[in-house]
Amino acid sequence: MSEQGFRYLNKAAPRTEDFRLLTGYGRYLDDIEIPGALHVCFVRSPHAHARIVSIDATEALSMSGVVAVVTGRELQQWTKPLRIAPPIEGLLAVETETMPVEIARFQGDPVACVVATDRYLAEDAAERVQVEFEPLSAVTDMWQALEPGAPQVDPMVRGNLVSHQTFAHGNPQDVAGTAFRVVEATFTQQRQTHVPIETRGCAAVWDAGRHHLTFHIGTQVPHPLRTQLADRLRLNEFQVTVISPDVGGSFGQKIALYREELTVAALARHLNRPVRWREDRLENLTAAANSREDFCRTRAAVDEHGRLLSLELEMREDFGAYCFFPANYLARVVAMILTGPYRVQDYSFDVKIALSNKCGTAPMRAPMSMTSWVMDGTIDAIARELKLDPVDVRRRNLIARDELPYRTPTGEVLADITPTETFEAVLKAVDYEGFRVRQREARTLGRHLGIGFCVVVEPTTYGSRFYKAAGIPGSGHEASWIRIEPSGVVNASVGLGPSGQGYESAMATAVAEGLGVDPTSVYIHLGHTDIAPYGMGSRGARSATAGGGALYLCAQQARRKVLAIAAGWLNVADDILRLNDARVERRNGEEWLDSGVALTDVAQRAYMDPTALPDGLTPGLEFHFAYDPPAMTYSNSTHACEIEFDADTGHIRIARYVIAEDCGTLLNPTVVEGQQHGAVAMGLSGALFEQVIYDETGQNLTGSLADYLIASATDLPNLEIIPMHTPNRTTAAGIKGMAEGGVMGALGALTNAVNDALSHFGAVADRHPLSPMFLHGLIRRKL
Amino acid sequence: MKPAVFSYHRPTTLADALTLLEEYQLDAKVIAGGQSLVPMMNMRFAQPAHLIDLNALPELSGVRRSSDMLEIGAMMRHHELATDPLVRACCPLLAEAAATIGHYAIRQRGTLGGSLAHADPAAQLPLIASTLDARIEVVGSDGSREMPAAEFLISVMTTALQPEEIIRHVRFPCKRPSEGHAFELFSRRHGDFAIASCAVSVVLAGGTFAHLRIGLGGVGDVPLVLDDLAALYAGRGADASAVAELAAHAAAAIEPHEHREISVGYRRDLVKTLTQRALVRAIRRASEDF
Amino acid sequence: MEKKAICLNVNGTRFDVTCESRKLLSDAIREDCRLTGTHVGCEHGVCGACTVLLDGRPTRSCLTYAVQAEGTQITTIEAVAKDNRLSPLQQALHECHGLQCGFCTPGIVMTFEAHLRDNPWPTEEQVRDVLSGNMCRCTGYQNIVRAILLAAERMGEDISHV
Repeated sequence: MSEQGFRYLNKAAPRTEDFRLLTGYGRYLDDIEIPGALHVCFVRSPHAHARIVSIDATEALSMSGVVAVVTGRELQQWTKPLRIAPPIEGLLAVETETMPVEIARFQGDPVACVVATDRYLAEDAAERVQVEFEPLSAVTDMWQALEPGAPQVDPMVRGNLVSHQTFAHGNPQDVAGTAFRVVEATFTQQRQTHVPIETRGCAAVWDAGRHHLTFHIGTQVPHPLRTQLADRLRLNEFQVTVISPDVGGSFGQKIALYREELTVAALARHLNRPVRWREDRLENLTAAANSREDFCRTRAAVDEHGRLLSLELEMREDFGAYCFFPANYLARVVAMILTGPYRVQDYSFDVKIALSNKCGTAPMRAPMSMTSWVMDGTIDAIARELKLDPVDVRRRNLIARDELPYRTPTGEVLADITPTETFEAVLKAVDYEGFRVRQREARTLGRHLGIGFCVVVEPTTYGSRFYKAAGIPGSGHEASWIRIEPSGVVNASVGLGPSGQGYESAMATAVAEGLGVDPTSVYIHLGHTDIAPYGMGSRGARSATAGGGALYLCAQQARRKVLAIAAGWLNVADDILRLNDARVERRNGEEWLDSGVALTDVAQRAYMDPTALPDGLTPGLEFHFAYDPPAMTYSNSTHACEIEFDADTGHIRIARYVIAEDCGTLLNPTVVEGQQHGAVAMGLSGALFEQVIYDETGQNLTGSLADYLIASATDLPNLEIIPMHTPNRTTAAGIKGMAEGGVMGALGALTNAVNDALSHFGAVADRHPLSPMFLHGLIRRKL
Repeated sequence: MKPAVFSYHRPTTLADALTLLEEYQLDAKVIAGGQSLVPMMNMRFAQPAHLIDLNALPELSGVRRSSDMLEIGAMMRHHELATDPLVRACCPLLAEAAATIGHYAIRQRGTLGGSLAHADPAAQLPLIASTLDARIEVVGSDGSREMPAAEFLISVMTTALQPEEIIRHVRFPCKRPSEGHAFELFSRRHGDFAIASCAVSVVLAGGTFAHLRIGLGGVGDVPLVLDDLAALYAGRGADASAVAELAAHAAAAIEPHEHREISVGYRRDLVKTLTQRALVRAIRRASEDF
Repeated sequence: MEKKAICLNVNGTRFDVTCESRKLLSDAIREDCRLTGTHVGCEHGVCGACTVLLDGRPTRSCLTYAVQAEGTQITTIEAVAKDNRLSPLQQALHECHGLQCGFCTPGIVMTFEAHLRDNPWPTEEQVRDVLSGNMCRCTGYQNIVRAILLAAERMGEDISHV
């Protein structure tokens, strides 16, 4: 039994989904055979901004295997446009056609769709679709986009300013006016993209007899997608089934219903033939979704000891040309949680979101990724300017245990988090004092070591009360059902959409724990909307808390009925019974003894002999439960990164990377470790290598994996993880969730380590990627 | 991304291959390893009407030593160049550089001839061929001709190959007794094309330079070989100050294009560092060999 | 449309395939041989997800045209486990949590089934070097490396018992 008395939770275990994935028998979208399916290929704008003057598909239509060519005009008739207009102050409404009719807004914008008997032929025909464009001026820089006279990206968004939000708590400017020092720092994060190894794709099958659409698509949100799809196609929700198969990664890219997928669905219905699409890598890198192009400036007022008195944030984000999500949605989180584990009440933010003629934005694993880099980078800037030790500055400003629960200036309540504990643990693990000695010695030999810290508070799970309080429509609940079969095995389901996080194993464990059976006797159904209950799906890091929580509570509900039936059977009170390993046990003093009744016996009675059930109990053992988690749940961690900087080449070698983490109750520690590795990897990869690059005319220069660089096995260190988990006192089973904090910590810890090394040269790296050329350039000027 | 339509030919003799090339000329492309060509074809940057596969030709394989030259067939795979005992013994600089090309799987297929014909300014094999003054034999229906690497490599992705010709073999000089060598490259990530690279071949006599060749890759349209240095530094002590001077000389000698991410200044500094590191290693090897 | 009739030997089985010369081997394996364990991630030879063995050598099937593969022995992921028993490498990946979404996994298994034959006692550095040709977006590679080293150790023990 673990500390909290769990039998199965908090226990490392290998995953149950591995066999098929290891042997090549996984079932990803392209593996699904659909006889007679047609294949599509999109014709895309080569211009960043252009009027679509005419589209002539005559030649294409005459080619071998081509069945149809459609444009935005046909789709206007078959579908509704997307309207994003949540009632949020400072956010402008936007409406997007299914495929542009008048104007293409970025290089890669789809303007026509070719349908053919195979993809090779579709690509041949796509080359022959004659599109006449009238190029227009494009704007590709978010600062220029907000200047008067800049080209308009969206006629509904004047001046390209799609969202502007401000906030103030207390009086940060006044405080800054009288403070000992005001430290300013800037942080520029580059445009990135998700790069799941499996690109987007879908397959639509229209049943003309039943007027029903079956839509196969890898998605994180099966039910919300189905609701949107039905609405946009003007179908009833019972006319659409969404089935998500095995998904080769998503990281936030496979949430929105994009235009290509909607086009495929509409085509299947219109042509009355199955239609499928596989996005190729060029499309995925240039036309799926981008993320993270952000700028932050902080002004921190401090006393002579580096204590934070007030903080002001100015933030700008480039949202691209199209909004598939409310434009304020991603940057808002950064602004709201910026202060994180640090004590400060006088705080303000000013966040502007601009449109530009580039690919639209979708949240990418840790959409608030730069938060901790900005906050801990600000702390380090304070230390630098006041010539204080960055560890001391943190110790002075970190919220102490006895200050919890702590209400942040934006009204978030921090509770059940352990930032100081994880910070001290990491300091000890890296032997901080020892490092400084080594650093000094190394400098005498012309070697430049650096150490960086980042204290992360990760919001993982948003409950419905959060959305309500923020004035955002939407729900934070998750739904589950459990059916105990006559044989005693368990079928269960939850509304999540997996993309590699091991839900089949982890969620089975949640059921096992709540019910009292071994996890191997539980099977979790996922991704099929005829089967799964209506939940909000997977996003952020909500799956364990909301999904695991829903299943755990549902399983407890199931256990209560099982024990009530057993109590009636055994003629005892149900409070002396428990279910353990699918057997009913009764308490005898301090011991538990087998009662002779197994779960399968109870199940048989429930299904086959219901008149024998106690009064008031209905037949069968099927349960449904919807769980709305608390308004906000957090996990936390501290990251420490040790690097060596080669001043001759600008190269960074990561010598050591340590994380102390508190993720609450863990459904499966093995899965959690994998998630931490993956999150840190994505953060380090982003900080070092990745960048979507557009030139001044809006041409995307990073359309292949040889140009858009992702970290490989030789670029990443082995992570040392110190577990320091403490339960959350208000969530189901004390679960906190995790999976994005690693990105946040990596960006901060690595950058702070680099700046620690660069301090010798009086240089500061304030932007990503930390390329060798950039870093070398910084010190070259100082040499 | 699917390629455009093409006709595929798989000749089984060199003569047949050359006949096909003679017939189709610029409408044809030969495929050896395919690791550079196929991505371009799949993205439709290259759309040859005819693809002539060289993988079945026996005449292009093998490695043999002939007096003080190593003759290597054009179809020799990078992996083989890196691991073949004869190549490692006679031409260790070539083996060392080949081991750094791309990734393990790429090296199983990519070929010596393919890399030279592709002539990427940042690639390893054109640099080594230039530095060692290798002889490249090309063959067409009319006959064959041999030329030094410097003559073969004309500009970015441009060589002296005529449309009807292919590379048959490349002859590298075997290393001299007591020759030291080193290859250094710098890239963003392991396996990427070099931002800059340096190949050094040196022989010492009593601690002074008796032979010296420095080649630089990724610094211009073609590899730059600093072949005037041998004469300039003949008889000079191979010490730290000479190394520093040579590195500075190399940095000053390059004329790279301005690149969006990579400034000329950065490339010069990088060349200086890589040349320094390569010289130190090569000199140490040359000394150990005694 | 000119189609060729070719004969592919995949996992010891003969497949008679009729296709255009331009059809990628990755597509032919998946569609014509109906072996969908080989995955397509980029079609320009960078991600490594499509890696199969051609005459025992790791090869990116997206950089090979199906017509080129006639006369070779192609081995795909489906041939690695025998009678539902995972190979030591597959078993180690499972135990070490060396896969998450699984999309890159077959390419990695094929690369290392071959490499561990070439190099039965690799160092971590060598493993990372070879692995650098396979992209994974989920795991950060750490557990994959651990699994490969574990598999090598176990296979080494097996050999020493022979």
